Amino acid sequence: MSCNKTILELKNICRKLPEINIINDISFIFKTGNIYSIIGPSGAGKSSLLRLINRLDEPTSGTIVFDGNDYTQYRPCELRKRIGYLFQTPYLFEGSVKNNIRYGNQSISDEKIKELAEQTQVSEKLLNSDSAKLSVGEKQRVALARMLALNPEVILLDEPTSALDPANTATIEKLIKQIAERCEATFLFVSHNPEQALRMGGQALLLVYGQLIEYGPAEQIINNPQSDAGKLYQRKELQ
Amino acid sequence: MTNPGLTEVLMSLILVGLALGVSRWWKISTAKDMSIGSVRAFIQLVAVGYALEFIFGMESPWLIYLALLIMIAVGSHAAYGRVKSVSNSFFITFISIVSGSFITLLLMLLLDIISFEARYIIPLGGMIIGNSMNSSALTIERLSSDLKNNHLAIETSLSLGRGWRSASREYQKKAATAGMISILNTMKTIGLVALPGAMTGMILAGANPLKAVYLQIIVVYMILSAVTITSVVSMELTIRKFFSKHQQLISKN
Repeated sequence: MSCNKTILELKNICRKLPEINIINDISFIFKTGNIYSIIGPSGAGKSSLLRLINRLDEPTSGTIVFDGNDYTQYRPCELRKRIGYLFQTPYLFEGSVKNNIRYGNQSISDEKIKELAEQTQVSEKLLNSDSAKLSVGEKQRVALARMLALNPEVILLDEPTSALDPANTATIEKLIKQIAERCEATFLFVSHNPEQALRMGGQALLLVYGQLIEYGPAEQIINNPQSDAGKLYQRKELQ
Repeated sequence: MTNPGLTEVLMSLILVGLALGVSRWWKISTAKDMSIGSVRAFIQLVAVGYALEFIFGMESPWLIYLALLIMIAVGSHAAYGRVKSVSNSFFITFISIVSGSFITLLLMLLLDIISFEARYIIPLGGMIIGNSMNSSALTIERLSSDLKNNHLAIETSLSLGRGWRSASREYQKKAATAGMISILNTMKTIGLVALPGAMTGMILAGANPLKAVYLQIIVVYMILSAVTITSVVSMELTIRKFFSKHQQLISKN
């Protein structure tokens, strides 16, 4: 995959419920091999945006273009394999860790499973363990390995390190950067933590009340926001 | 009690009196329900008795169809009352019970197990519809609660590229089984714990016990067939209410 090609484009997407606009007219172009941190206060619509891109929800209006085609052109199952999504709360299916990693890609080899486990800091000894016995942090790392097994072109991460300790967080952040640097995937990374967005580098998108308020290099959006909402968020007055 | 009449029925009111007395003595506040229930059972059953006598006398196929339709409508409505939260649940219960009842009765007619006479179709239809009604409600209840309580598991599966049917297979199986559990449990202990209703009725009416057993076996197999079809149809119609054509879990159901 070559770098900096348009892979995903949001075109005026809205998601409205009877009493609230969850996502309000967001347009944005995501390029291959980049990391995009999606930041904003609680209820800004960060997770809802990821759900729309994974097509778990339908936009009320607007559309999404993926790899040059309107995303409705793809079968949802195919689209979701090409746009991986890691939920904030990891869910592992009954059975072994290995079978969980294989869940979305039954043809994956045992060697590849070991490689993914190593990358995501899942001990090889755990591969044959019962997934129910894992800690939340371990479950999150297995869920990440399972999603990477799909070999997706776009990766949606909803606070993937919220249950991890600092050492594991650093490992996962490093892995994401490595994959992005090799242009193997584009990352949309929801984070509550502006410090993490700074560490990840790349671009940042600030969402407030379902609107895209500001975007640009993460360092600028977090340390030197131009919008009033951005300044309030910087001063932690928007939560 | 070879030929019970109104005198015997009135005498049996002493049993209701006994139940009322026990209930009052132990201060179980069911006296009102018992009284209303007893009167209601009397009126409903006597009305049904007259209706059956009329239908049996007429031997009109249209009356048989009409009676079945009324029983199905009432059964569907009773099942619907338990699963109102699922959209279009009356339609689901109605279609499910119709499918279970008609396929089973039709097969019994084609195999010449019964003949198309009101005295066979209506009582057997009643048994089928009563069991199917419970089966449909249990299936819909179980499926809707499982899908609501396991949305993370289902959406995780969908997000990994599985289709809605695969993502919800476990819950489909559990729901269909819930609809069949009553007859499956009955079959385990039938004849060992209590003699079932149809057989008891025949023996009390003076029939040969072996003949009564044969009829009972047919009744059990008939109910098994009907509730299996009803459960599966209920499950199939309900699950479609929970997934959009874009393989999305619709949480509002």
